[in-house]
Amino acid sequence: MTLDFSIVLRFQEALALGLWMTIKLTLICVVLGCSLGFSIGLARTSRSALLRAASSIYVEFFRGTPVLVQLFWIFFCLPLILGVELSNLTSGVIALTLYMGAISSETFRASLKSIGPEQLDACVALDLPRRVQVTSVILPQAVLRAVPTLLSNCVSLFKESALVSAVGMADLMFVGQNISNNTARPVEVLTVVALIYFVIAFPLTRAVTLVERRVLAKLAI
Amino acid sequence: MTMSFSAPLVKIQSLHKSYGPHIQVLKGLDVEMKPGERVVVIGPSGGGKSTLLRVMMGLEKIDSGSISFGGKPYIFSEGADRKTVIDTEVRRSIGMVFQHYTLFPHLSVIQNLILAPCKVRGENKASATKRAQALLERFGLGAKASAYPAQLSGGQKQRVAIARALMLDPKLMLFDEVTSALDPELVAEVEQVILQLAGQDMPMMIVTHDMWFAKNIASRVIFCAGGVVVEDGPPEQVLGSPKEERTREFIDRVFHIRH
Ligand SMILES: Nc1ncnc2c1ncn2[C@@H]1O[C@H](COP(=O)(O)OP(=O)(O)OP(=O)(O)O)[C@@H](O)[C@H]1O
Ligand SMILES: [Mg+2]
Repeated sequence: MTLDFSIVLRFQEALALGLWMTIKLTLICVVLGCSLGFSIGLARTSRSALLRAASSIYVEFFRGTPVLVQLFWIFFCLPLILGVELSNLTSGVIALTLYMGAISSETFRASLKSIGPEQLDACVALDLPRRVQVTSVILPQAVLRAVPTLLSNCVSLFKESALVSAVGMADLMFVGQNISNNTARPVEVLTVVALIYFVIAFPLTRAVTLVERRVLAKLAI
Repeated sequence: MTMSFSAPLVKIQSLHKSYGPHIQVLKGLDVEMKPGERVVVIGPSGGGKSTLLRVMMGLEKIDSGSISFGGKPYIFSEGADRKTVIDTEVRRSIGMVFQHYTLFPHLSVIQNLILAPCKVRGENKASATKRAQALLERFGLGAKASAYPAQLSGGQKQRVAIARALMLDPKLMLFDEVTSALDPELVAEVEQVILQLAGQDMPMMIVTHDMWFAKNIASRVIFCAGGVVVEDGPPEQVLGSPKEERTREFIDRVFHIRH
């Protein structure tokens, strides 16, 4: 078998479009998912038992089922239940946002919990009102502590987003699969697709370690 | 507020405090503190010393009793359900430093100092920074203004914590074992700072296990055990020749460890 990687170059543009879709989807779902995750993280530590129960059912459900199943459910079942057509992008965004919300809420919950009660004692002793306690003491520390894990969450999301190809969204994986089918050159095409994912995900993974070290060094009291 | 010379600065009356239904910590504690006094509280571990200071700072609910500051009750329990009432206006005059520094790790030293004055008192940043810098110089920390807590030694952290409390011009300072977490060679620098404050007649209540420090800073010593005041008097008496058997036993034990 002879390998000819130049064949991939002919499909540069299609692959670039696919990659753009993957990145767009990831970025949208990172922003929406993190916001959802932070709210859910707060809800899980809330005083209201109802909020706590509802949010933990959501998180446990999404953590305990395969992303592919969630995706199929949102693509095929949600439109039937709601009685409306959802575009591919909308369904993809909903599915991956719910996934990201569930995993990042755990991250935020852990970071909120890691702020010791003595920080609140210090706030009271300094006469800081509740609003200042949250905005100047709790929130910045929670976010800082969450950053390394959130970055890992983003890398996971970036990789998991390849699943949307299974429901026909034209992301990098979908485009790669099509090209490989049409050219009968799966080795070249899919290897390149894997490399593209890796070249983006790997530096991010390394960044996690670096950021982690810096954040921990700074927050170690 | 009129206050005659000998009127108490702090008056604690039959203070009861428990954690949950089974752990009774303070069982009818009475203490009076005059203006300018430096009261050292000693006593066995678990005797309720930290609890007393935390209650005075308004960090804990109480079961019953009351605490006044400058003649005004600011912590008491009220109503049929004995809800704890805390007058935050009065509490504002009290500052506290804890055993474990409790600096804000995401803020630099100077930001730690100016956070409360700027956000709570509405002081402008320039003036707060100037006051903070002066305080840091005074405590030998002038060069550390832009350092983060993680870059400081324990002794430096604790001096920053004291400076941070002083930024709000407290009329009473509470110190809870502020040198207990420090390496022995760092204890002196923190104690010096507190002695400096004592030289300026800052009223303070200090919990410490350090007998040298207690002798040098106290104008009065209280021996607290089992949730009540067992002995209360001048340092020469309580530390030197205690009247109560339990005080004597405790002092002997602590001194025997140290010598
Ligand atoms: N948050 C809490 N919940 C339950 N029990 C508590 C709590 N804080 C303190 N206690 C208990 O109350 C008692 C008094 O504690 P406190 O910390 O006031 O003692 P202390 O005199 O400061 O002791 P030490 O010298 O060891 O610091 C102890 O038995 C302690 O276990
Ligand atoms: Mg204590």
